[in-house]
This record gives sequence, C-alpha cells and structure tokens, in this order.
Amino acid sequence: MTRLMAISPLLVVALGGVLLMLAEAFSHRREEGDVRHTGPSSELALGTAVTLLAGAIMAAAVWMVGPEKLETLPGLAPYYVADRFTLFFTFTICLGGALAALLAGGYLPEHKLDRGEFYPLLTFGTVGAILLAAAGDLLSLFIALETMSLAVYALTGFRRTSPRSTEAAVKYFLLGSFAAVLLLYGGALLYGATGHTDLAGIRAAIMHPAAAKPANLALVLVAAALILCGLAFKVSAVPFHMWTPDAYEGAPTPATGYMAVAVKTAAFAMMLRVLVGGFGDGALASWAAGWPPVLALLAVVTMTGANLVAGRQESVKRMLAYSSIAHAGYVLVAVATIPRASEEAQASVMYYLLAYTVSTIGAFGALVLCGSRGAEAVSYEDLAGLGKRHPAVAIAFTLFLLSLTGVPPTAGFFGKWYVAKTTIGAGLYPLAIVLLLNSALAAYYYLRVLVYMYMRDPAPGAPIAKPMRSGYVVGALVIAGVLVLALGIWPTTPIELAVQAALTAR
Amino acid sequence: MTAYVPILLLFTVAFALAGVFFVLGGAIGPKNPTPEKMIPYECGSESTGARFVKPSVKFYLTAILFVVFDIEAVFIYPWAIQFRALGWTGFVTMGSFIALLVVGLVYVWKKGALEWEK
Repeated sequence: MTRLMAISPLLVVALGGVLLMLAEAFSHRREEGDVRHTGPSSELALGTAVTLLAGAIMAAAVWMVGPEKLETLPGLAPYYVADRFTLFFTFTICLGGALAALLAGGYLPEHKLDRGEFYPLLTFGTVGAILLAAAGDLLSLFIALETMSLAVYALTGFRRTSPRSTEAAVKYFLLGSFAAVLLLYGGALLYGATGHTDLAGIRAAIMHPAAAKPANLALVLVAAALILCGLAFKVSAVPFHMWTPDAYEGAPTPATGYMAVAVKTAAFAMMLRVLVGGFGDGALASWAAGWPPVLALLAVVTMTGANLVAGRQESVKRMLAYSSIAHAGYVLVAVATIPRASEEAQASVMYYLLAYTVSTIGAFGALVLCGSRGAEAVSYEDLAGLGKRHPAVAIAFTLFLLSLTGVPPTAGFFGKWYVAKTTIGAGLYPLAIVLLLNSALAAYYYLRVLVYMYMRDPAPGAPIAKPMRSGYVVGALVIAGVLVLALGIWPTTPIELAVQAALTAR
Repeated sequence: MTAYVPILLLFTVAFALAGVFFVLGGAIGPKNPTPEKMIPYECGSESTGARFVKPSVKFYLTAILFVVFDIEAVFIYPWAIQFRALGWTGFVTMGSFIALLVVGLVYVWKKGALEWEK
C-alpha cells in the first residue's frame, strides 16, 4: 500500500469520480417543475468539491512527507512522474476543479440543467488534468490529454437544447482533436528521430549527438514545431485561439470557469514538461535557434491581440474569455524566460497559474451569481447599478477583477510582479515592457465592469438581472476571495513552494 | 524491384480492361431510358423517402458500448495466457480493471442505455 502513496492524489480523485458516477446513476431524478434549489445534483456538487479538495489535501500531504522518500510502483516513471512539480500542479488543478464544482451546484439547478452527469465528467476531466501534469512520457501524456479533453468537450455541450452550446462543443471538439493530432504527429516524428518516447530519453538523445543513436536534428526541429503548435492550441495562444471565445461563451458558466482554470493550468504543466523536460538543453533552448524566441513572439502576439479584442466585447463572459487568452500570454512570457532563469521562471509560471486560478474562477463565480433563471447576466448593461442593488455581489466581483487587473494587494498583482521581475532579471527588457503595457491596456476592460456596476444606472425599462441565491456559489466565492487576498498578502510561502517544485522537476 | 513487374503488369491490364469495357459499353450500347430506369437502384423494390435519414443515436450508443466491452477481451487474453508468470500483481491489476468495467456496466444498465425501446 505504501507504494501507492506517491500517486494517492490521483487515486483519490479517480475513485471519487467512480463513486460519484454510481451515486448519480442511483439517485432519484427530480420531478419536472420542482423549483427547489437543492436536488440530488447539488449534493453531487458537494461530493465533487469534497473529492477534489481531498485530492488537493492529499497532494499537500505527500508534499509534506516528501515524494522523493516514497517508494513507488515499479515502472511508474516516466509515465507518472511523482515529483513536487506534479504535486504543485495537482493542488492548483484540484482547487480550480473543486471551486468550479461548487459553482455548478448553484448554476445547474437555477438554469434547469440539473443533470448529474456534469460532476463525474468534471471529476474525470480532473483525473486527466492531473495525469497531464505528471506525464513524463509522450504516450501517457497523450492519453491524459484525451481523457481531459473528452470530458471537457462534453461539458461544453452540456446545454444540449441550445444550438449555441452545441456549436461551441463541436467547434472545440474539431479544433481540439486537430491540436491533439499535431501533438501526436510531432511525437511520432520525435520517436523516429530519437528512438524514445520518454521526455528524458528524448532530451538525452538531442543533447548528445554522439549517443548510441544520434538524433536527426532536422526531424527534431519539425517535430518540435508541430508539438509547439499543438501546445499553443491547448493553452489558446494567439493565433491558435479561435476556438476559445466561442467555446467559452457557449459552455455553461461553471464549465467555462473550469476550462479557463483547470484545463489551462494542466496545458501549461504539459508545456513545461515538454519544453523543459524534452527540449530543455542545447541549441533547442537557446535564444539563437530554439523555441524561446518563438514563445516570446507568441507571448507578445497573444497578450496584445487578446487585450485589444477584449476591450471591444459587449458580453462580459466573452470579455473574460479573451482575458483568459491574455493571461495565457502573460504566462508565456514567463515560459519564454525559462532558458535564462530556469527555476525562478518555472516558479513564476506556477505561482501565476495559482493566482490566476483563484481570480478567474472567482470572476466567473461572480458572473454566475449576478444572473438568475432565464436571465443570465452576460452583457455590461446587465451589471449596471449592481453596486447599489446588491453591494455584496458587486464587492466580490470587484475583488476578482482587481486581481485579474493586477492591483495590490491581490494575488494577481504578485503573479504579474513576479513574472515581470523574472523577465527583467533575465535581461529581457522588451518582453517585460510589453507585459507591463498590456497590463495597463487590460485595466480598461476590467475597470469598465466596475464603472457599469458603480457609476451607471440601468436604462429605464431594461430587464434587470436578479442575482440568484445559492449557498454553493457564495461558498466558492468566499473561498476564492480569501485565497486571492491571502496569496496577495503572504506571497512568500507559495512562491517558495513553487521554487521548490521547480527545483525538483525532472 | 524487378520481382514486382508482373504485378504492375497485372494491375495495368486489369485497369485497362475495365476502362475498355466501360468506354465501349457507353459508346456502342443501346440507350432507352425510362423514368423507372433512372431511379436509384434499391434491390429492385421501389425507393421511398428522402436520401438522407438521420440515424438514431441508439446505434452509436450500442456501437460505442460494444467497442468498450470488446476491448476488454484484448487485454484479458494476453493476461490469461501469462497468468502464472504475472502472478498476484497481474491478478490484482486485472481485477481492478475488470471491477472498473463492471462499474461501467452497472452505470449504463442503470441509465437504461441497454434498453432499445424506452
């Protein structure tokens, strides 16, 4: 049994998912027309949140014990690399998933989507996400990616009767499969060039051309380009972002939040594993002829493009979708810095994603709370005058938007500050300047929400979105809000943990 | 490569012959079209309905379920052959695999996916 300790976070979540699936199948369906806010599926929401939080707590426990000391199953590595890097990402992913489940507990009954399948899907998607962060081999990486993606495709199309939701799911499915194929093709070429599917073996074969079987560098470059395209698709970097706004807008808001945090975090974990673990050394990671300049360019285009388009959106949900693309750009800045400041840059990616997780899920949660049945708050107009009518909701929304903007003392501020500090420390001044300019640009559309909430009155006769009442959503917002402030006021400990995680990453 | 020349020759002759029959049939065959002759051939009976029919989602469901439960055989056969060599590790691994499949079966059963008529 002690051998299973190293993978216990994953096991807890997977077993929880199976139990939730059975509980959902054997629970009684609610009668049609029942207007109570709590049904079996709300209890499933609590079960999912508990399962995922248990996964996060297990990750923390294994961290305390020290994954290096634990005996693992033979043959587990490199398919599942049980190091601190994995544990840190497991924690972030589980936290985001648990908060999204709580949001769903309020949202789904309110919007007559009260079908329990949502929760097992979300849990199994999280299993895939954890595996993705832990995969040190292209084979298990691909399986993990598909496990996660299939669940998320289904979550996107969860509102089956809505053409928009279905369109979003189909679009996401087609483009997502395309990205997966690019990754797979790149992996196949890489195997052909190096004779390895595990990232450590690939790295060794690229680094030492004098090895038993020298790698064909031209093939490696083509493979790296294909894999980079696939990764950029998954983290929705411009110009591979086209699916993101539609998929995010069509999905039910808790699913959107889940995609924006857990899926994106897992995709970045995969990116770090592949780029640092597989292409980490030699010419491929140099600024002269490797991936860093490509990533820097992607980061600049992503930040600028997403921020410019986000400012023009009339739907708050769509604005948040573009905002999540912009944040992917900020993280890409940190990823591009890795060859110059390895551990610190990786740690800044991890801390940023943690800060981004709590802020974004909070913003989506506040958006969920602003709407009620038949009147989901989507446009800026819907939020007009919210500060007077429902001050508590408005204050929560404000907190999360300020964190996304990067205003101290919130988590978002320290995330950006740390990324900028690493970039400047690495001597990449132009990147840091673009990052800061973009933060200023982003403030426009985040603060616009605040202007509508506090300084505008709803147009006479306009339908006024009435906030819903749900203990689950309020609970999720309280947790996220406390974490946003705590991570912003005491950033030292999480940053130290992230540095430790980056140091042990293999 | 020369060993494959006869096969290439066979392909060439086959395609050429098919082409010749096709062209000759079109050129010198008598043509006497009637409306009945022009309708799509459907085993001799009269065709009815639209050309595109939406297949019921049940077909997909059944096909997917078949694939899921068929794949297990692919894993169980090699395990059964190497049963003694794999020992308890293999037994426990396969046991948990089959237990997960049983959970899946219980789920689809309870959800009514195995009933054709609802």
